[in-house]
Amino acid sequence: MIKLVNVSKEYIIDSEYTFYALKKANVEIKEKEFVSIMGPSGSGKSTLMHIIGLLDKPTTGKVFILEREISKITDDQLSTLRNEFVGFVFQQFNLINKLTVLENVMLPTIYCRKELDFDPTDRAVEILENFGLKGKMNSYPNKLSGGQQQRVAIARALMMKPKLILADEPTGNLDSKTGHEIMMLLEKLNKEEKITIVLVTHETDIAAYAKRVIKIRDGEIV
Amino acid sequence: MKNIIFIFKSAIDDFSRNKLRTFLTSLGILIGVFAVVVLIALGLGLKKYISDQFEAMGKNTIFLVPGRILSGGGFSGSASSFTGSFDNRDIEILKRIDNVVSVGPLTLKSIKVNGLIKEDFADIMFSSEVLPDIMGFEIETGRFFDKTDVTKRAKVVFIGNKIATDYYGSAENAIGQKVTVNNVKFMIIGVTKSKGGGGMGGPDYDSYLYGPYTTGYIFNPDKKFFRLMVKTTNENYVAQVKEDIKKEFLKRYEEEEFSVVEPTELLSAITSIFSVLNLILVAIAAISLLVGGIGIMNIMYVTVSDRIKEIGIRRAIGARKSDILSQFLAEAVLLSSIGGILGIALAYFGVFFAQKFFPAYIDLLTVAIALGVSSAIGITFGVFPARKAANLEPVEAIRYE
Ligand SMILES: Nc1ncnc2c1ncn2[C@@H]1O[C@H](COP(=O)(O)OP(=O)(O)OP(=O)(O)O)[C@@H](O)[C@H]1O
Ligand SMILES: [Mg+2]
Repeated sequence: MIKLVNVSKEYIIDSEYTFYALKKANVEIKEKEFVSIMGPSGSGKSTLMHIIGLLDKPTTGKVFILEREISKITDDQLSTLRNEFVGFVFQQFNLINKLTVLENVMLPTIYCRKELDFDPTDRAVEILENFGLKGKMNSYPNKLSGGQQQRVAIARALMMKPKLILADEPTGNLDSKTGHEIMMLLEKLNKEEKITIVLVTHETDIAAYAKRVIKIRDGEIV
Repeated sequence: MKNIIFIFKSAIDDFSRNKLRTFLTSLGILIGVFAVVVLIALGLGLKKYISDQFEAMGKNTIFLVPGRILSGGGFSGSASSFTGSFDNRDIEILKRIDNVVSVGPLTLKSIKVNGLIKEDFADIMFSSEVLPDIMGFEIETGRFFDKTDVTKRAKVVFIGNKIATDYYGSAENAIGQKVTVNNVKFMIIGVTKSKGGGGMGGPDYDSYLYGPYTTGYIFNPDKKFFRLMVKTTNENYVAQVKEDIKKEFLKRYEEEEFSVVEPTELLSAITSIFSVLNLILVAIAAISLLVGGIGIMNIMYVTVSDRIKEIGIRRAIGARKSDILSQFLAEAVLLSSIGGILGIALAYFGVFFAQKFFPAYIDLLTVAIALGVSSAIGITFGVFPARKAANLEPVEAIRYE
C-alpha cells in the first residue's frame, strides 16, 4: 500500500552542517497491517510518519502510495489523499478548540470534493455514540478529558472511512489505563474494520499491540 | 457550496468572539466608506439642485450676457468686469430674428424694503411679462404683471415667496402693500410660489422683487440692460437662433463683448466645476479606505500567525491550499464588508441630517459602489496574508507550537 524507497530527510542547519532526520529509510506498509514505529526521542519517528501520511516530502528517495509516486502528483491530489485515504491521530490531539466536538469530527467532510456515500452528521453522531461521547457532542474539546479528546480525534480520523490511520504517540498524553483503552480501540478498528494502522510510540507495552515493529535510531531503520 | 457556507459561518463565529477587534479593524473602512458616501451624496445633491434651478427656465431659452462668460468648459472671470450692456435696439434686433417668440430684458437694482415686520435691503429685477414663463415662476396669490402693465409703465411688482414671509409675515399680507424705491411707490400685486433652496450654486429667486422694465427706466435713464432673455418657438430652434443672434450682434459688438448661452451650457459648466471639486474630495476620503485596507492586512497577518497550528490541522485532514486561501480571504472580505455596511448605514444617518440644510441624497449606485469597493479592499489587502497561510508547509504548521 505504501512504500518508502531510500527516503532521506535532511535539514540544513548551516552551510557546513546538514542534519539527517531520516537516512535512506526503506519501509513498506501492507494493507490491513498493524505496525508500530519505535525509537527514542528525536530518532525521526514523527518525520517518518509525516512522510508516510503525505504531510511531508522526502529530500531524496521515493514514496509510493497505491503504486503512485508522490513527487509526480499535485499538491491538491495529496490533499485529497490525506482527506480520503489517511486519518491522523496525534499525541496533542490537535482538535480545533473553537469548533464543537461534532464540528471537529465532521470537519474532513468539508474538504471532500467528491460525493459522499454517507450523511456527514449521521455518521459523526454514530461514531461519537460508539465511542461513548454521546453527551459531549456540542461541548468544546478543551472541556473534555485527555482520553475523551483522543477519542474525538480518532472519530475525526475515521470520518472519511480511511484505509490508513497514522497515530503519533496517541497515548503519550494519557495515563496508562486510558492509554490502553485507546489502544484497544485502535486494535478493534484494525481487526474489525480492516483499517491499516501505523503507530508511533516509545513505550514497549504500547508497541506490543502491533503485529510488526519497525525500530528507528538516529534516522536509520534498524 | 457547503464549503462557502461553512467558511463564512466560521469567520462570523470568529468575529463574534473578537467583537472589539473586529470593530476596530473595520473602523478604517467604516470611516472611509462613510466619508466617500457622504461626499458623493453632497455632490449629487448639489448637482441636482443646480440642474433643477436651470430646468425650470425651460430648454428653449437663450441668454445674452455682456462679456465672455464661458470659455472652454468653465467660467472666465471677465464677465463681471465688463461694463457694457445691451439697449433697446438690441431688443428690436432680437425680435426680428426668426423663431424668436419673446425677448425679456433684465436690470437689477438694490433697494430698501420697508416691510410690515422687517426692513432690509433686497434686489429688484426689472423685466418684461415673459419673465415668469422663462424663469418657471408660479403664482401663489395675486398675479404677475402683464403686457399692459409693461406698456403703461405701471408701478407694480410681484415678489418672491421669501420676501413676502420675511417682510410681511405672509403672502396674503403682502398683497396691496406699497414698496418705495427712491421715492417711487410700487404696489405688490402678486407673490410667487417658493422655488426652494437658494444660497448655494444659484440665485435665490424667492428673495427678489420683480417689476416691469419700462417702469424701471425711472432708475435707468440710459435704458441699458445687463442681460437679455430670448425665448424660441421650441428647443429645436435654439441652435439656429443662437447662430443668427451671433451674426446680428457681431455687426454691433466685438466678439468678446457679448455671450450667447443656453441654460444647459451654463449648467454643464457649473456642474463640471463642482464635479471636479467633488472628485478631489472623494479622492482624499478614499485615502482613508487605503489606510483601512492596510489595517485589515495587518490584523489578517496577526490572525494567520495566531492560527498556524489550526492551518496545519486543516491541511492534515485534507484542506487544499485553495481552501485555506479562501478561508482567510473570506474573513478579510467579511471584515471590510462589515466596515462598508456600517459606513453606509452611518452615511445614511449623516445624509438624513444634512438634508435639513442641503439637498444631499444617496443613490443605489453609490451604495453598490461602496459595497463593491469595500469588498475589493478586503480581497486586495487580504490576499497577501491569505497566501501566506495557504503556502505554509503542512508539516511545519502542524509541528508549530
Ligand atoms: N524543521 C526542522 N528543522 C531542523 N530539524 C528538525 C526539523 N524538524 C525536525 N527536526 C529534527 O529531526 C529530528 C527528528 O524529529 P522527529 O520529530 O521525527 O523525532 P521523534 O522521533 O518524533 O521524536 P519524539 O519522540 O520526541 O517525538 C529531531 O532531532 C528534530 O530536532
Ligand atoms: Mg514525534
